[in-house]
Amino acid sequence: MTRTEIYDKVLEIVHDCVPETEEQELKESTVINTDTAIDSMGFTLIICRLEAVFGIKIPDRQWQKLYTVGDVVTAIEKRLK
Amino acid sequence: MRTGVLERDADFLALLQRQAALRPERPALRFAEGCLTYRQLLDRVGLEAEHWLQSGKRCLALLCDGSPDCVFTIFGAAAAGLQLVLLDGNLPEEEIRRLLRAADADALWGQDSLEEDMTPALGGGVPQAPGSLLFFTSGTTGSARAVVLTQAGLCASAWNGSALLPLFPRDTLLCLLPLNHVFGFVCGLLWGLRCGACVALGRGPRYYGEDLKRFRPTAVSVVPTLLGFLLKRQALNEELKLVLIGAGDCPPALPAALKGLGIRVSFGYGLTETSSGVALSLGEDPYAMTVCPEDRVRLGEDGEILIESETCMMRGYYRDPAATAEVLQNGVLHTGDLGRFDEKGLLRITGRKKEILVFPDGTKLYLPEYEAKLRTRLPEREFAVLELEGSPVLYLRGKEEERGAVTAALEPLMRELPLARRLKALYLDPAPLPRTATGKIQRWIIKQKVVSQYDKN
Repeated sequence: MTRTEIYDKVLEIVHDCVPETEEQELKESTVINTDTAIDSMGFTLIICRLEAVFGIKIPDRQWQKLYTVGDVVTAIEKRLK
Repeated sequence: MRTGVLERDADFLALLQRQAALRPERPALRFAEGCLTYRQLLDRVGLEAEHWLQSGKRCLALLCDGSPDCVFTIFGAAAAGLQLVLLDGNLPEEEIRRLLRAADADALWGQDSLEEDMTPALGGGVPQAPGSLLFFTSGTTGSARAVVLTQAGLCASAWNGSALLPLFPRDTLLCLLPLNHVFGFVCGLLWGLRCGACVALGRGPRYYGEDLKRFRPTAVSVVPTLLGFLLKRQALNEELKLVLIGAGDCPPALPAALKGLGIRVSFGYGLTETSSGVALSLGEDPYAMTVCPEDRVRLGEDGEILIESETCMMRGYYRDPAATAEVLQNGVLHTGDLGRFDEKGLLRITGRKKEILVFPDGTKLYLPEYEAKLRTRLPEREFAVLELEGSPVLYLRGKEEERGAVTAALEPLMRELPLARRLKALYLDPAPLPRTATGKIQRWIIKQKVVSQYDKN
């Protein structure tokens, strides 16, 4: 899967889990906890859905290090390799 | 051995021994991989105690993950007389290192989850509180401090819960909250064990939406944020009959939604410093609370809630006598929270002392009450009122283009208020408000943000 394909899938899941984000432009540089409508519970939901869709597991304490949308894409990309 | 329901337990081991004698074959712990009876749990804890007795260690820090092994280790090391430090396993490694040093830890449980070796941070000091547990407060008004709590105090706090809200051996209490928070530790774990119920250990945040339907609890303790999530996801199970809400301001819509589902709601008030709950609501009104039997509550002249408790009160902040003396004077804890007793003698929380604005004319403004007024004009919005240069200002989650609509919505209310009580500024921010792990709004962080960012512009 290419990075662009992962990014597109991430956006689809984010919008699905937190519909309030649909009007927001989510770039790779978008900071998750300050630039978006995603709260901690919404983020938990997104990570769980991403893990299920991509068939990966991101350790709990790694979640805290996911600062931007690009970080999320990178974390998935790394685990798919 | 006395086994009456009124008996208090001197420590965790005594609690487990009593339950193992009373109901050895009843389930004590359920978890993803299986189940342990009270007898098996006691045996497992005994093995852990033996291990820690022989280890020569004096202060064990745990990166709490809520697993069965984590629970066995806490009880076993406590039985061996070690000082325990319960930490959030998701903290940045630099912060973990700092807290290990601050707590004089010489052993760490959960190191495997870290990338960096913490050994250099261990063994630097002499533990000052053997047999006690250190909890770091979540800190709504300042940075976290380590609170020293005794096993007897935590057991007494669990006894408080069992006296006012008894569970029964056929009940299952689901433990969803982190054990490094005193509310999670007491109301998610000890309360159930104290009552001889079965405690089901949740599988962590990624399973919040599934664990109720997997473990089918009859009771669960939650913070408001988590409850909102569970309701939104329709994650509650049919068998659930009691939800204990604590550790944060709770919007009325949440208990109302539970009642609509026929689930009993109890709201708890307590602090880390009091080993969790001091008062619990027992009747129809979730905000009217009965003071727990092990605590005495009175109000200061300004309405501040003052608490005394021989059993549940903290021993102090670890290695910080000055900070301890600030809040604990002659055995009386000055909570910084404001309350009143209603006509039925029930305690109602009205705000925080530090959230009072005092105007030049001597009149006062209680920010939570002020926010309640604003909420009538801004329902469903997330906001906080802050004091800035002696005036109330509104910090609202929203977009800049909403400024006109928000201002218009508030205008009728502002017109009714004296000039000094009108909002002086509106700050809009699309991000969620910063909250503690238990959902409390962190006004001090918002204020720092406002002062450092907006005033520059």
